[in-house]
Amino acid sequence: MDAAALPWWIWPIALFAVSFAIGIVAVLAGVGGGVLFVPIVGGLFPFHLDFVRGAGLMFALAGTLAAGPPLLRAGMASLRLVMPLALVGSIGSFAGALVGLSLRVELLQTLLGILIVGIAILIWRTRAADRADIEADALGAFLRLEGEFVDPAAGMKIDWRTHRTLLGLGAFAAIGFIGGIFGLGAGFANVPALNLLMSAPLKVAVGSSGLLISVINSSAAWVYLERGALLPLIVVPAILGVMLGSRLGARLLGSTPAPVVRLLLIVVMLLAGLRALSRGLGVWA
Amino acid sequence: MTAHERALRELYARWLDRASKAGFALCLCAFIVYAGGLLPSYLPASELPRYWGLPVSRFIALTNMPHGWGWMRFLGYGDVLNLGTVALLALVTPVCYARVLPRLFAERDWLQVALAAAQLLVLAVAASGLLAAPG
Repeated sequence: MDAAALPWWIWPIALFAVSFAIGIVAVLAGVGGGVLFVPIVGGLFPFHLDFVRGAGLMFALAGTLAAGPPLLRAGMASLRLVMPLALVGSIGSFAGALVGLSLRVELLQTLLGILIVGIAILIWRTRAADRADIEADALGAFLRLEGEFVDPAAGMKIDWRTHRTLLGLGAFAAIGFIGGIFGLGAGFANVPALNLLMSAPLKVAVGSSGLLISVINSSAAWVYLERGALLPLIVVPAILGVMLGSRLGARLLGSTPAPVVRLLLIVVMLLAGLRALSRGLGVWA
Repeated sequence: MTAHERALRELYARWLDRASKAGFALCLCAFIVYAGGLLPSYLPASELPRYWGLPVSRFIALTNMPHGWGWMRFLGYGDVLNLGTVALLALVTPVCYARVLPRLFAERDWLQVALAAAQLLVLAVAASGLLAAPG
Protein backbone atom coordinates (compact mmCIF):
# COMPACT_ATOMS: atom_id res chain seq x y z
CA MET A 1 0.00 0.00 0.00
CA ASP A 2 1.26 3.49 -0.85
CA ALA A 3 1.76 5.39 2.39
CA ALA A 4 1.27 8.71 0.60
CA ALA A 5 -2.29 7.70 -0.37
CA LEU A 6 -3.42 7.39 3.26
CA PRO A 7 -5.12 10.36 4.96
CA TRP A 8 -2.71 12.36 7.14
CA TRP A 9 -4.59 11.73 10.41
CA ILE A 10 -4.00 7.97 10.17
CA TRP A 11 -0.33 8.50 11.03
CA PRO A 12 -0.66 10.31 14.39
CA ILE A 13 -3.28 7.77 15.47
CA ALA A 14 -1.04 4.86 14.41
CA LEU A 15 1.89 6.55 16.15
CA PHE A 16 -0.12 6.87 19.36
CA ALA A 17 -1.00 3.15 19.18
CA VAL A 18 2.62 2.09 18.53
CA SER A 19 3.90 4.37 21.31
CA PHE A 20 1.28 2.95 23.67
CA ALA A 21 2.46 -0.61 22.90
CA ILE A 22 6.12 0.41 23.27
CA GLY A 23 5.26 2.04 26.62
CA ILE A 24 3.87 -1.27 27.90
CA VAL A 25 6.79 -3.40 26.66
CA ALA A 26 9.40 -0.86 27.81
CA VAL A 27 8.19 -0.90 31.41
CA LEU A 28 7.90 -4.69 31.45
CA ALA A 29 11.38 -5.08 29.95
CA GLY A 30 13.00 -2.31 32.03
CA VAL A 31 14.21 -0.19 29.12
CA GLY A 32 13.49 3.47 28.35
CA GLY A 33 11.58 2.84 25.15
CA GLY A 34 13.51 5.17 22.85
CA VAL A 35 15.60 2.19 21.79
CA LEU A 36 12.39 0.64 20.39
CA PHE A 37 10.72 3.85 19.25
CA VAL A 38 13.42 5.16 16.90
CA PRO A 39 14.05 1.97 14.86
CA ILE A 40 10.36 0.93 14.75
CA VAL A 41 8.95 4.35 13.84
CA GLY A 42 11.95 5.11 11.60
CA GLY A 43 11.41 1.82 9.77
CA LEU A 44 7.62 1.66 9.48
CA PHE A 45 6.42 5.27 9.31
CA PRO A 46 6.89 7.78 6.46
CA PHE A 47 8.62 10.40 8.65
CA HIS A 48 12.23 11.38 7.97
CA LEU A 49 14.69 10.07 10.53
CA ASP A 50 15.47 13.66 11.63
CA PHE A 51 11.90 14.03 12.97
CA VAL A 52 11.83 10.48 14.37
CA ARG A 53 15.02 11.10 16.36
CA GLY A 54 13.66 14.42 17.66
CA ALA A 55 10.47 12.66 18.75
CA GLY A 56 12.54 9.79 20.20
CA LEU A 57 14.41 12.20 22.47
CA MET A 58 11.17 13.80 23.68
CA PHE A 59 9.63 10.31 24.05
CA ALA A 60 12.42 9.24 26.40
CA LEU A 61 12.46 12.63 28.15
CA ALA A 62 8.70 12.54 28.84
CA GLY A 63 8.84 9.04 30.31
CA THR A 64 11.72 9.84 32.63
CA LEU A 65 10.32 13.22 33.75
CA ALA A 66 7.17 11.46 34.91
CA ALA A 67 9.08 8.66 36.65
CA GLY A 68 11.68 10.92 38.34
CA PRO A 69 9.84 12.11 41.48
CA PRO A 70 8.81 8.65 42.81
CA LEU A 71 12.28 7.25 42.03
CA LEU A 72 13.95 10.09 43.95
CA ARG A 73 11.60 9.79 46.93
CA ALA A 74 12.14 6.01 47.10
CA GLY A 75 15.91 6.57 47.22
CA MET A 76 16.37 4.64 43.97
CA ALA A 77 17.69 7.71 42.13
CA SER A 78 20.64 9.53 43.68
CA LEU A 79 21.13 13.22 42.84
CA ARG A 80 24.73 13.05 44.03
CA LEU A 81 25.42 10.20 41.61
CA VAL A 82 23.47 11.78 38.77
CA MET A 83 24.93 15.31 38.78
CA PRO A 84 28.53 14.64 37.62
CA LEU A 85 27.49 11.87 35.21
CA ALA A 86 24.67 13.98 33.74
CA LEU A 87 27.07 16.87 33.18
CA VAL A 88 29.48 14.88 31.01
CA GLY A 89 26.54 13.02 29.42
CA SER A 90 24.85 16.32 28.51
CA ILE A 91 27.99 17.65 26.84
CA GLY A 92 28.27 14.37 24.89
CA SER A 93 24.57 14.41 24.00
CA PHE A 94 24.74 18.02 22.80
CA ALA A 95 27.73 17.19 20.58
CA GLY A 96 26.03 13.98 19.38
CA ALA A 97 22.88 15.88 18.37
CA LEU A 98 24.97 18.37 16.36
CA VAL A 99 26.84 15.54 14.64
CA GLY A 100 23.69 13.43 14.11
CA LEU A 101 21.84 16.22 12.31
CA SER A 102 24.70 16.64 9.87
CA LEU A 103 25.01 12.95 8.83
CA ARG A 104 23.42 11.42 5.73
CA VAL A 105 20.27 9.44 6.46
CA GLU A 106 21.55 6.23 4.80
CA LEU A 107 24.62 6.25 7.05
CA LEU A 108 22.44 6.98 10.09
CA GLN A 109 20.04 4.13 9.27
CA THR A 110 22.96 1.72 8.82
CA LEU A 111 24.63 2.77 12.09
CA LEU A 112 21.27 2.68 13.88
CA GLY A 113 20.66 -0.86 12.63
CA ILE A 114 24.09 -2.03 13.82
CA LEU A 115 23.60 -0.27 17.18
CA ILE A 116 20.12 -1.74 17.80
CA VAL A 117 21.22 -5.28 16.89
CA GLY A 118 24.27 -4.79 19.16
CA ILE A 119 22.05 -3.59 22.04
CA ALA A 120 19.74 -6.59 21.59
CA ILE A 121 22.76 -8.88 21.94
CA LEU A 122 23.98 -6.83 24.96
CA ILE A 123 20.57 -7.21 26.69
CA TRP A 124 20.59 -10.93 25.89
CA ARG A 125 24.09 -11.46 27.30
CA THR A 126 24.15 -9.04 30.26
CA ARG A 127 23.49 -10.23 33.77
CA ALA A 128 23.10 -7.79 36.66
CA ALA A 129 25.50 -7.88 39.59
CA ASP A 130 25.17 -6.39 43.07
CA ARG A 131 28.39 -6.21 45.04
CA ALA A 132 28.61 -4.94 48.59
CA ASP A 133 32.41 -5.06 49.02
CA ILE A 134 33.26 -1.97 46.95
CA GLU A 135 35.97 0.47 47.99
CA ALA A 136 35.43 3.96 46.56
CA ASP A 137 38.26 5.27 44.34
CA ALA A 138 39.80 8.72 44.92
CA LEU A 139 37.60 10.54 42.40
CA GLY A 140 34.47 8.75 43.60
CA ALA A 141 35.34 9.69 47.19
CA PHE A 142 35.98 13.32 46.15
CA LEU A 143 32.60 13.49 44.35
CA ARG A 144 31.01 11.60 47.30
CA LEU A 145 29.32 9.10 44.99
CA GLU A 146 27.77 7.08 47.78
CA GLY A 147 24.47 6.70 49.52
CA GLU A 148 22.07 4.39 51.22
CA PHE A 149 19.04 2.64 49.83
CA VAL A 150 16.36 0.67 51.63
CA ASP A 151 15.32 -2.27 49.45
CA PRO A 152 11.73 -3.15 50.41
CA ALA A 153 11.87 -6.45 48.49
CA ALA A 154 14.97 -7.64 50.37
CA GLY A 155 13.92 -5.86 53.59
CA MET A 156 17.38 -4.41 54.19
CA LYS A 157 19.34 -1.16 54.01
CA ILE A 158 22.15 -1.11 51.46
CA ASP A 159 25.08 1.30 51.87
CA TRP A 160 26.61 1.77 48.48
CA ARG A 161 29.52 3.58 46.86
CA THR A 162 30.94 3.52 43.36
CA HIS A 163 34.38 2.92 41.91
CA ARG A 164 36.07 3.23 38.47
CA THR A 165 34.71 6.78 38.46
CA LEU A 166 36.91 8.16 35.67
CA LEU A 167 35.94 5.25 33.42
CA GLY A 168 32.30 5.83 34.37
CA LEU A 169 32.51 9.52 33.42
CA GLY A 170 34.06 8.55 30.07
CA ALA A 171 31.34 5.95 29.51
CA PHE A 172 28.59 8.49 30.15
CA ALA A 173 30.15 11.03 27.79
CA ALA A 174 30.18 8.31 25.08
CA ILE A 175 26.64 7.11 25.91
CA GLY A 176 25.37 10.71 25.78
CA PHE A 177 27.07 11.22 22.41
CA ILE A 178 25.46 8.10 20.92
CA GLY A 179 22.07 8.98 22.44
CA GLY A 180 22.29 12.48 20.93
CA ILE A 181 23.11 11.15 17.47
CA PHE A 182 20.28 8.62 17.36
CA GLY A 183 17.65 10.30 19.57
CA LEU A 184 17.79 7.57 22.22
CA GLY A 185 17.47 7.80 25.97
CA ALA A 186 20.19 5.16 26.28
CA GLY A 187 18.88 3.51 29.44
CA PHE A 188 20.11 0.23 27.90
CA ALA A 189 23.69 1.48 28.39
CA ASN A 190 23.24 3.63 31.51
CA VAL A 191 22.19 0.72 33.69
CA PRO A 192 25.14 -1.60 32.82
CA ALA A 193 27.55 1.35 33.11
CA LEU A 194 26.26 2.19 36.58
CA ASN A 195 25.81 -1.39 37.79
CA LEU A 196 28.56 -3.42 36.12
CA LEU A 197 31.21 -0.73 35.61
CA MET A 198 30.73 1.56 38.62
CA SER A 199 29.14 -1.10 40.88
CA ALA A 200 26.09 0.89 41.95
CA PRO A 201 23.33 -1.47 43.20
CA LEU A 202 21.01 -2.54 40.38
CA LYS A 203 17.94 -0.71 41.69
CA VAL A 204 19.93 2.49 42.24
CA ALA A 205 21.35 2.07 38.71
CA VAL A 206 17.87 1.67 37.18
CA GLY A 207 16.42 4.60 39.15
CA SER A 208 19.37 6.92 38.57
CA SER A 209 19.39 6.01 34.86
CA GLY A 210 15.89 7.46 34.56
CA LEU A 211 16.91 10.72 36.20
CA LEU A 212 20.09 10.83 34.08
CA ILE A 213 18.05 10.53 30.89
CA SER A 214 15.81 13.41 31.97
CA VAL A 215 18.88 15.67 32.32
CA ILE A 216 20.97 14.40 29.40
CA ASN A 217 18.13 14.38 26.86
CA SER A 218 17.20 17.96 27.70
CA SER A 219 20.40 19.29 26.14
CA ALA A 220 20.02 17.27 22.90
CA ALA A 221 16.29 18.14 22.74
CA TRP A 222 17.20 21.84 22.55
CA VAL A 223 19.43 21.16 19.53
CA TYR A 224 16.62 19.32 17.72
CA LEU A 225 14.16 22.08 18.65
CA GLU A 226 16.61 24.74 17.48
CA ARG A 227 17.00 23.00 14.12
CA GLY A 228 13.24 22.60 13.65
CA ALA A 229 13.35 18.78 13.98
CA LEU A 230 10.48 18.56 16.49
CA LEU A 231 7.11 18.21 14.76
CA PRO A 232 4.21 18.43 17.27
CA LEU A 233 2.09 16.09 15.14
CA ILE A 234 4.73 13.39 15.71
CA VAL A 235 6.02 14.32 19.17
CA VAL A 236 2.75 14.76 21.09
CA PRO A 237 0.96 11.49 20.09
CA ALA A 238 4.23 9.68 20.90
CA ILE A 239 4.46 11.31 24.34
CA LEU A 240 0.80 10.67 25.19
CA GLY A 241 1.01 7.08 23.93
CA VAL A 242 4.09 6.20 25.97
CA MET A 243 2.71 7.82 29.13
CA LEU A 244 -0.52 5.81 29.00
CA GLY A 245 1.26 2.62 27.89
CA SER A 246 3.80 2.94 30.71
CA ARG A 247 0.99 3.19 33.27
CA LEU A 248 -0.60 0.00 31.95
CA GLY A 249 2.82 -1.67 31.80
CA ALA A 250 3.44 -0.78 35.45
CA ARG A 251 0.11 -2.44 36.39
CA LEU A 252 0.99 -5.58 34.41
CA LEU A 253 4.49 -5.72 35.87
CA GLY A 254 3.61 -8.01 38.74
CA SER A 255 1.72 -10.58 36.66
CA THR A 256 3.85 -10.81 33.50
CA PRO A 257 6.68 -13.36 33.30
CA ALA A 258 9.93 -11.40 32.93
CA PRO A 259 11.76 -13.96 30.71
CA VAL A 260 8.94 -13.87 28.12
CA VAL A 261 9.03 -10.06 27.99
CA ARG A 262 12.82 -10.06 27.74
CA LEU A 263 12.70 -12.51 24.85
CA LEU A 264 9.98 -10.45 23.13
CA LEU A 265 12.08 -7.29 23.54
CA ILE A 266 15.17 -8.97 22.04
CA VAL A 267 13.21 -10.32 19.05
CA VAL A 268 11.50 -6.96 18.37
CA MET A 269 14.83 -5.13 18.63
CA LEU A 270 16.54 -7.59 16.29
CA LEU A 271 13.75 -7.17 13.71
CA ALA A 272 13.72 -3.36 14.05
CA GLY A 273 17.53 -3.23 13.87
CA LEU A 274 17.66 -5.42 10.77
CA ARG A 275 14.93 -3.28 9.18
CA ALA A 276 16.96 -0.10 9.83
CA LEU A 277 20.08 -1.83 8.51
CA SER A 278 18.29 -2.94 5.34
CA ARG A 279 16.99 0.60 4.75
CA GLY A 280 20.42 2.08 5.32
CA LEU A 281 22.07 -0.33 2.91
CA GLY A 282 19.29 0.13 0.35
CA VAL A 283 18.35 -3.57 0.48
CA TRP A 284 14.72 -2.89 1.48
CA ALA A 285 13.74 0.77 1.16
CA MET B 1 22.44 10.27 54.05
CA THR B 2 22.46 13.68 55.75
CA ALA B 3 19.38 15.78 56.47
CA HIS B 4 20.67 18.29 53.91
CA GLU B 5 20.79 15.63 51.21
CA ARG B 6 17.31 14.39 52.08
CA ALA B 7 15.90 17.92 51.92
CA LEU B 8 17.65 18.56 48.61
CA ARG B 9 16.29 15.32 47.14
CA GLU B 10 12.75 16.19 48.25
CA LEU B 11 13.07 19.73 46.86
CA TYR B 12 14.23 18.44 43.45
CA ALA B 13 11.50 15.75 43.40
CA ARG B 14 8.79 18.26 44.31
CA TRP B 15 9.79 20.69 41.56
CA LEU B 16 10.28 17.91 39.03
CA ASP B 17 6.80 16.62 39.85
CA ARG B 18 5.13 20.03 39.58
CA ALA B 19 7.00 21.23 36.50
CA SER B 20 6.55 17.99 34.54
CA LYS B 21 2.82 17.77 35.38
CA ALA B 22 2.33 21.40 34.33
CA GLY B 23 4.33 20.75 31.14
CA PHE B 24 2.28 17.66 30.23
CA ALA B 25 -1.03 19.43 30.94
CA LEU B 26 -0.09 22.41 28.77
CA CYS B 27 1.19 20.07 26.05
CA LEU B 28 -2.10 18.16 26.01
CA CYS B 29 -4.23 21.34 26.00
CA ALA B 30 -2.18 22.84 23.15
CA PHE B 31 -2.49 19.61 21.16
CA ILE B 32 -6.27 19.62 21.57
CA VAL B 33 -6.30 23.23 20.35
CA TYR B 34 -4.09 22.25 17.39
CA ALA B 35 -5.78 18.98 16.41
CA GLY B 36 -9.25 20.46 16.99
CA GLY B 37 -8.48 23.34 14.64
CA LEU B 38 -9.32 25.95 17.30
CA LEU B 39 -6.41 28.08 16.07
CA PRO B 40 -5.14 28.39 12.51
CA SER B 41 -2.01 26.36 11.68
CA TYR B 42 1.19 27.88 10.33
CA LEU B 43 1.47 24.75 8.18
CA PRO B 44 -1.87 22.90 7.88
CA ALA B 45 -1.69 19.30 9.10
CA SER B 46 -3.17 18.09 5.80
CA GLU B 47 -0.09 19.46 3.99
CA LEU B 48 2.46 17.87 6.35
CA PRO B 49 2.64 14.49 4.53
CA ARG B 50 4.22 16.30 1.55
CA TYR B 51 7.11 17.41 3.72
CA TRP B 52 7.59 15.11 6.73
CA GLY B 53 9.66 12.63 4.72
CA LEU B 54 12.26 15.30 3.91
CA PRO B 55 15.43 16.08 5.89
CA VAL B 56 14.80 18.90 8.36
CA SER B 57 16.94 21.43 6.46
CA ARG B 58 14.90 20.84 3.28
CA PHE B 59 11.65 20.87 5.31
CA ILE B 60 12.49 24.31 6.73
CA ALA B 61 13.54 25.64 3.32
CA LEU B 62 10.29 24.54 1.63
CA THR B 63 7.77 25.31 4.38
CA ASN B 64 9.47 28.35 5.91
CA MET B 65 8.51 26.96 9.34
CA PRO B 66 10.03 29.03 12.16
CA HIS B 67 13.04 27.43 13.82
CA GLY B 68 15.61 28.50 16.38
CA TRP B 69 13.66 30.77 18.74
CA GLY B 70 11.71 32.17 15.78
CA TRP B 71 8.62 30.25 16.83
CA MET B 72 8.13 32.63 19.78
CA ARG B 73 6.71 35.22 17.33
CA PHE B 74 4.08 32.84 15.94
CA LEU B 75 2.41 31.43 19.05
CA GLY B 76 -0.97 32.42 17.66
CA TYR B 77 -0.76 29.41 15.35
CA GLY B 78 -1.89 26.06 16.75
CA ASP B 79 1.09 24.03 15.53
CA VAL B 80 3.65 26.60 16.71
CA LEU B 81 1.89 26.93 20.07
CA ASN B 82 2.17 23.16 20.41
CA LEU B 83 5.89 23.37 19.65
CA GLY B 84 6.19 25.94 22.44
CA THR B 85 4.61 23.57 24.95
CA VAL B 86 6.94 20.75 23.82
CA ALA B 87 9.81 23.15 24.51
CA LEU B 88 8.45 23.58 28.04
CA LEU B 89 9.17 19.90 28.68
CA ALA B 90 12.82 20.52 27.77
CA LEU B 91 12.79 23.39 30.31
CA VAL B 92 11.75 21.20 33.24
CA THR B 93 15.28 20.03 34.09
CA PRO B 94 16.87 23.53 33.97
CA VAL B 95 14.04 24.80 36.22
CA CYS B 96 14.75 22.04 38.77
CA TYR B 97 18.51 22.70 38.71
CA ALA B 98 17.91 26.44 39.07
CA ARG B 99 15.67 25.75 42.07
CA VAL B 100 18.21 23.59 43.96
CA LEU B 101 21.19 25.85 43.20
CA PRO B 102 20.42 28.49 45.91
CA ARG B 103 19.90 25.69 48.44
CA LEU B 104 23.29 24.19 47.59
CA PHE B 105 24.81 27.64 47.82
CA ALA B 106 23.27 28.23 51.24
CA GLU B 107 24.65 24.88 52.43
CA ARG B 108 28.11 25.85 51.07
CA ASP B 109 28.20 22.57 49.15
CA TRP B 110 30.64 24.06 46.66
CA LEU B 111 31.23 20.88 44.66
CA GLN B 112 27.52 20.45 43.96
CA VAL B 113 27.18 24.20 43.31
CA ALA B 114 29.88 23.93 40.64
CA LEU B 115 28.26 20.84 39.06
CA ALA B 116 24.77 22.38 39.02
CA ALA B 117 26.05 25.69 37.64
CA ALA B 118 28.03 23.91 34.92
CA GLN B 119 24.95 21.83 34.01
CA LEU B 120 22.83 24.99 33.72
CA LEU B 121 25.53 26.53 31.52
CA VAL B 122 25.52 23.50 29.18
CA LEU B 123 21.71 23.57 28.94
CA ALA B 124 21.76 27.34 28.34
CA VAL B 125 24.30 26.95 25.52
CA ALA B 126 22.22 24.14 23.99
CA ALA B 127 19.01 26.20 24.25
CA SER B 128 20.63 29.38 22.94
CA GLY B 129 21.48 27.78 19.61
CA LEU B 130 24.89 29.46 19.75
CA LEU B 131 26.67 26.33 18.53
CA ALA B 132 23.78 24.87 16.56
CA ALA B 133 23.74 26.88 13.35
CA PRO B 134 21.39 25.23 10.81
CA GLY B 135 23.17 22.52 8.83
